[in-house]
Amino acid sequence: MAHATHTDGELDLEPLKRILERDFRYDTHQDAEELILGACQEAQNLYGWVPQPAAQAIADHLGVSVNRVYALLTFYADFRTEPPGKHFLLLCHGTACYVMGSQRLIDTLRDEYGITNGEVTRDGELTLQVVNGCLGVCDLAPVIQVDHHTYCGRLTPDRLRETLEALKRGEPLEERNETD
Amino acid sequence: MKLTDRAAFEQYVAEAQRRWAERTAGDRWVVSVGISECSIAKGARQTLDHLRLALEQAGIQAEVRQVGCAGWCWAEPYVEVQAPGAPPVIYQKITTDKVPELVDAMKRGDVKADWALGVRADQPFEGVPPLNEHPFLAGQRRVLMADWGIIDPESIEDYIARGGYQAWIKAIFDMTPEEVVNEVKISNVRGRGGAGFPAGIKWESGRRTQAWPKYVIANSHEGEPNVFKDRRMLESNPHLVLEGIMIGCYALETPHGYNYVGGEHKLAIERFRKAVDQAYELGLLGDNVLGSGVSCHIRVRTGGGAYICGEGSALMYSVMGQRGQPRTKPPRSVEEGVWKRPTVLNNTETFANIPGIIRNGGAWYAAMGTEKSTGTKLITMQGPVQRIGVVEIEMGMPMRELIFGLFGGMREGHVFKGVQTGGVSAGPLREEQLDVPVDFDSLTPLGGMLGSGGFVVFDQSVCAVDFARYLQEFNRYESCAKCVPCRLGNPALVEIIERIRLGHARPGDLTLIEETSRPIIDLSLCGLGQVAPMPTLGMIRAFPEDFAAHIDEHRCPAGVCPVDAAAPAATAAGD
Repeated sequence: MAHATHTDGELDLEPLKRILERDFRYDTHQDAEELILGACQEAQNLYGWVPQPAAQAIADHLGVSVNRVYALLTFYADFRTEPPGKHFLLLCHGTACYVMGSQRLIDTLRDEYGITNGEVTRDGELTLQVVNGCLGVCDLAPVIQVDHHTYCGRLTPDRLRETLEALKRGEPLEERNETD
Repeated sequence: MKLTDRAAFEQYVAEAQRRWAERTAGDRWVVSVGISECSIAKGARQTLDHLRLALEQAGIQAEVRQVGCAGWCWAEPYVEVQAPGAPPVIYQKITTDKVPELVDAMKRGDVKADWALGVRADQPFEGVPPLNEHPFLAGQRRVLMADWGIIDPESIEDYIARGGYQAWIKAIFDMTPEEVVNEVKISNVRGRGGAGFPAGIKWESGRRTQAWPKYVIANSHEGEPNVFKDRRMLESNPHLVLEGIMIGCYALETPHGYNYVGGEHKLAIERFRKAVDQAYELGLLGDNVLGSGVSCHIRVRTGGGAYICGEGSALMYSVMGQRGQPRTKPPRSVEEGVWKRPTVLNNTETFANIPGIIRNGGAWYAAMGTEKSTGTKLITMQGPVQRIGVVEIEMGMPMRELIFGLFGGMREGHVFKGVQTGGVSAGPLREEQLDVPVDFDSLTPLGGMLGSGGFVVFDQSVCAVDFARYLQEFNRYESCAKCVPCRLGNPALVEIIERIRLGHARPGDLTLIEETSRPIIDLSLCGLGQVAPMPTLGMIRAFPEDFAAHIDEHRCPAGVCPVDAAAPAATAAGD
């Protein structure tokens, strides 16, 4: 997913501010409080994580303290307060994926790539997030979602390795969903 | 176009039905592709694009449209082809590489019988059997799912052509709020989120509370690790849920409705939001709907990936922009919920039942299912079974028929060991227990639970000790950490199971598990904490032999756990 940053890597807050102005209007403080969580999601979608200036912009727009925003960012599992690596792996560890062997994928990532839930590989290439809930594509179990849109399913440790190496080489992943 | 009165709505209905009849008259090409999260994951969007192009190149003038999920996840991406003068044929697993051959066949006027799932007709057609005779569908009773895969979920016109919003109109023009509640009570529809509390009684308590404003909330959080029925509902027929929430608002005489959707369910959120926008545009939502004097406004709020937010009071804190942590009850949420006002919270599936109940009457609904568990239930099944997907059955179907009939039994090379019930809140069933009827009350005495209808079949390669650790670890991780017994008890349970798993069990560890579980069950504030030890207790009860092998023999029969064979035996005095 392309994230909104300036070419020199500096954070561009304008897109977030535009979204806040357009979709996050409110009349009362009560309404504003209801909007914090959704605003954090917009920031997360935009930048791939919620940088501190973005949290501040949300707080300023909604008239709440930035602590209030961080209370949510640190409670809800979807949010990241550290920048992710180049590629984002969402590994489903729901019950269906577990019975089909997702623990072996987690072990492979830990032992061979040195990452556990929430971590980034040393080369900055891969970020791993383990979903405790369910991605809802159980027919593909065990499954990972790569860079927010491509699903790679029915994985074994071998096929996971192949997939990740292909990803690092910049090859497309679209056709990797053989199910039988 | 904004409709201003009931007559204008009726006119709109007639027009929508006329256009629907034209589309389904069978005299033209109509090609429908199921677009939902599970089919997108398998490339359905590409299939749709390729089909459009290939049909154009072949000179076939077809209406190419998207529909929702039809429940058959294993058959995705699926394509329904309506050829002029022929009944609609449904093809399964149409990936982009199959599109040219399919279009060639269409051009020749042929049916690709070997790719077909079935035909929408009573008789076989060109070697394709009727869809309704497929073992996946034959045992189903599709009421909530009736229009899945048939209507375009992003078209309010499709929904209305199929009878949508008739219940809403009937409620606000022809019924009093008391009458609405009464029908829901007669239907005896019980909460589909897992607890099974009768919705009509909840609504009645909500009405009795004297404080304003009141709120109605649909719980579409669906954070359980093996359930995907609610998001498929929102992806496949969002208006049905919306209509249910609107009727709930009318019953509570409040204009304030919410749908709280899990933040991960992007397509579900997108389609539900679109449904809300369309209902406003048409004048079915807003102030003074169709001149009836009734106002209704629906807001969409999204979660952030915390399992605990599926719990009622935690969800309400989340709606208010707080951390989702449950609170002490009473006061119950029908007395003090969102913003300390009376709040009626029901599951998405419960709300989806409401329009049918209002249109056809509570008695019609109560005639389905069993006496104490009326109606139908959406069920998702996962694991190494032949067919994975969502089905809708009448309550009371035996579990065996569900697994080995509808879902086709085990895949080749997999031997059935058990089925985990109730998500992470109950225990599994063994093979010899599978004749139990699937309803709210029958599973509980066996240590199982209907929960939200998500079942996971597992085979002999799964170790009960390792599975218990997985489930307990889930509950440890997702504990909101407010109550001490849950915050400290779950890690303790994980630690004990872990040492059993490694072959380092101490004497009396199984007793210790029970003793540690007691305070979590008795003293946690919320329903999720109170059932947190259940999966482990259930695994021990269902598969004592697996635990004994680890503890007494330092051996994992499934070969999963890294047991330390040299560890000293645990069978000392006191065990």
